[in-house]
Amino acid sequence: MKQLQGCADMENSLELIAFFLLAGSLLTGALMVVTLKNLVNSVLSLIVVFFSLAGIFILLNADFLAAVQVLVYAGGVCIMLVFGVMLVQRKDMRESNPVNRRFLIAAPLTGALFLLIGLVAAKSPWVKEAGEVPENTIEHLAPILLRDYVIPFEAVAILLTVALTGVLLLVKEVKDNGRSS
Amino acid sequence: MNIDFSLLITEISLAILGLTVFTLGLILPAKSSQKGLGTFSLCGLLVILALTIASWGNQGETLGGMYLADYFTSFFKILSLTALILVILGSKNYVNSQIENHLEYYSTLIFATLGMIIMFSAGDFITLYLGLELMTISFIVLTSFRRTNGKSLEAGMKYLLLAGLSSAVLLYGLSLVYGAAGTVFIKEIAGNIAQGYFNPLLIVGLAMLIAGFGFKISAAPFHMWAPDVYEGAPTPVTAFLAVGSKAASFAVLIRVFLGAFLEMQEQWTMLIAFLAALSMLIGNLTAFAQTNIKRMLAFSSIAQAGYILVGLVAANEAGIKGVMFYSFIYVFATIGAFTVVSEVYNKTGSDDIADYAGLSQRAPLAAVVLLISMLSMAGIPPLAGFTGKYYLFITVVQDYLWLVYLGLILSMVSVYYYLRVVLVMFRDEPADPAPLKLGSTASLTLWLTLAATLFLGIYPWPLAKLANTVAIAFLAGL
Amino acid sequence: MSVWLGILFFILAGFAFSAIGLGLSFLIHPRSKNRFKLETYECGLPTIGPTWVQFKTQYFTYALIFVIFDVEVLYLYPWAVSFTQLGFSGLVKMFIFIFILVLGLWYAWKEGALEWR
Repeated sequence: MKQLQGCADMENSLELIAFFLLAGSLLTGALMVVTLKNLVNSVLSLIVVFFSLAGIFILLNADFLAAVQVLVYAGGVCIMLVFGVMLVQRKDMRESNPVNRRFLIAAPLTGALFLLIGLVAAKSPWVKEAGEVPENTIEHLAPILLRDYVIPFEAVAILLTVALTGVLLLVKEVKDNGRSS
Repeated sequence: MNIDFSLLITEISLAILGLTVFTLGLILPAKSSQKGLGTFSLCGLLVILALTIASWGNQGETLGGMYLADYFTSFFKILSLTALILVILGSKNYVNSQIENHLEYYSTLIFATLGMIIMFSAGDFITLYLGLELMTISFIVLTSFRRTNGKSLEAGMKYLLLAGLSSAVLLYGLSLVYGAAGTVFIKEIAGNIAQGYFNPLLIVGLAMLIAGFGFKISAAPFHMWAPDVYEGAPTPVTAFLAVGSKAASFAVLIRVFLGAFLEMQEQWTMLIAFLAALSMLIGNLTAFAQTNIKRMLAFSSIAQAGYILVGLVAANEAGIKGVMFYSFIYVFATIGAFTVVSEVYNKTGSDDIADYAGLSQRAPLAAVVLLISMLSMAGIPPLAGFTGKYYLFITVVQDYLWLVYLGLILSMVSVYYYLRVVLVMFRDEPADPAPLKLGSTASLTLWLTLAATLFLGIYPWPLAKLANTVAIAFLAGL
Repeated sequence: MSVWLGILFFILAGFAFSAIGLGLSFLIHPRSKNRFKLETYECGLPTIGPTWVQFKTQYFTYALIFVIFDVEVLYLYPWAVSFTQLGFSGLVKMFIFIFILVLGLWYAWKEGALEWR
């Protein structure tokens, strides 16, 4: 029994270390996204952020979400962002992510908000779901998605189609403009 | 958990209509034959409106309370469908000349309406958020539809960034509420709070929700996007954004704040009252300085959001009734005004108030509709706006008398900037006296909105009674 | 949980491995400083103009379509895992989902977004 307890402690502390490592790289990456001068570097740090977030999802036993995070965000979204950045022509890429002075106002405000929410969150009693996390989360996901949440599920399809048409409409215009000018 | 399809009749038929329009647009070969898509959507929407009215008594909830169909949702379904029909009817000319993409335009409009309906019919936060996103993303696309116009693209860009920000804030608020209350179901949250369950985190979540929804209804201080987006977006889209998006967001506000947080009323009514007062002040006072009619109407719509919020402050049947009544009459006044604006733009290529000089001689119907719509928004007695404002402000006379005074004074002030446009239209001589020929469908829209605004002003009882029944049923069903 | 801890050690080892390699080479490499060391290519003609060039918009279109269908795959995956459990109604719901997205693909095709120009 005692040995088991020790084992759990060991695992908890390792989990804690993993969490701090991941949270550290997440926050560092996020800071780099907004502070780096070169937009391409910012996008690359964003990939670090997405990967760290995937790691945190794994720590929370949400493997599917972690896979999604890597597949869609670190994969798809970041490639799109890189292309988006490269589409826009500018004089010097090294100065493409300028910092303006407004952060002098924004930083204390967001800092205060952060402190406030942090304090409130620390003082609040949290509702803890007693449910055991199943070994294989994906098998339990599909019934929820297709039975309970079927309306949002089909709405997602429409949402994606609307996004696709809208985006193609606007991109087409960019091309036409390029040709005519 | 079986789905009760009879409750979803509006949603399913609307989705089918949207997809059919989309497919037809893909199949039809020439751009010229795509003009028929507008008529097709219009016919389909009329059928759906009839179906929705016919299934008025069909109430219930499906998917374990995740999706609701009650009088309240039926009312707002009818409202958004009416708004969409009027917008499509009034925009045919505009679309033919300014926007050439019929397929994308009509299908996106229909899907935006579907998003609204899903949003205010949702019984849980996940469905609510997806509906909201469907609506918002459709509106982002619609806003940047006039692709050769820099202002339209700018508007789309601004709306994209700020809508993304507000969605993030809203989602964070929803997640905090979920964390504090332990459920995403609106009804269960109310139940948990009623059991004396209280958590300071809920208040932080509430504040975030107010910020997120405040953006959607363009209430000050979350209104910054409205003037630029309203100005840049294609005018029919502006009309629909001002009416549909706003009414649907108010419906959700009522659903969430009265449905889930009624027990915590004292925590948020003061905040809402403050937002209402600020919106009225900023909207009405900034509208003075505007020379562009769309910007002026944008600021006036910020002020209208302030008036409607007053009904939420009361947080009782009378308040809900006021919100519903005002939202409905606001549909006619706003669409009437914006249809005139889009028709004038279509002919003169200008949105400047100065170019409305002598409109009463060039297009009497347009001038009269603009006059009546604006007077209704200002709340001049025989018109619908007066009745609406009366229903709204009467609810807070006891507790928030200062709000009533503020509303009354600012309504009087607003008459000034509305009348400035009226003076330009009726007194000034036109630069070009040639008559301005309105499109036949646009004229029909104008006649309809005119009739509705006059009728509901003189004889508001049927709609008021209906709104009252719905409000009582809504509160009883909590 | 412990399965994933292996991965943590793997990541740490990966970082350590690359850090040791880079650190060692930093310590032992010969140092010669001149401005050609900073050029893109150490030998050959000097490069002209900035290295950052504007991409064709077509890349962006592809990336966008890719993301949309990437998200679709994401929904297909859990459905495929518990396909038998969900039965016929699951199949119908998934087909509606895919049908709507195929309409989007059709649109992209018709607008010529899939062709390289």
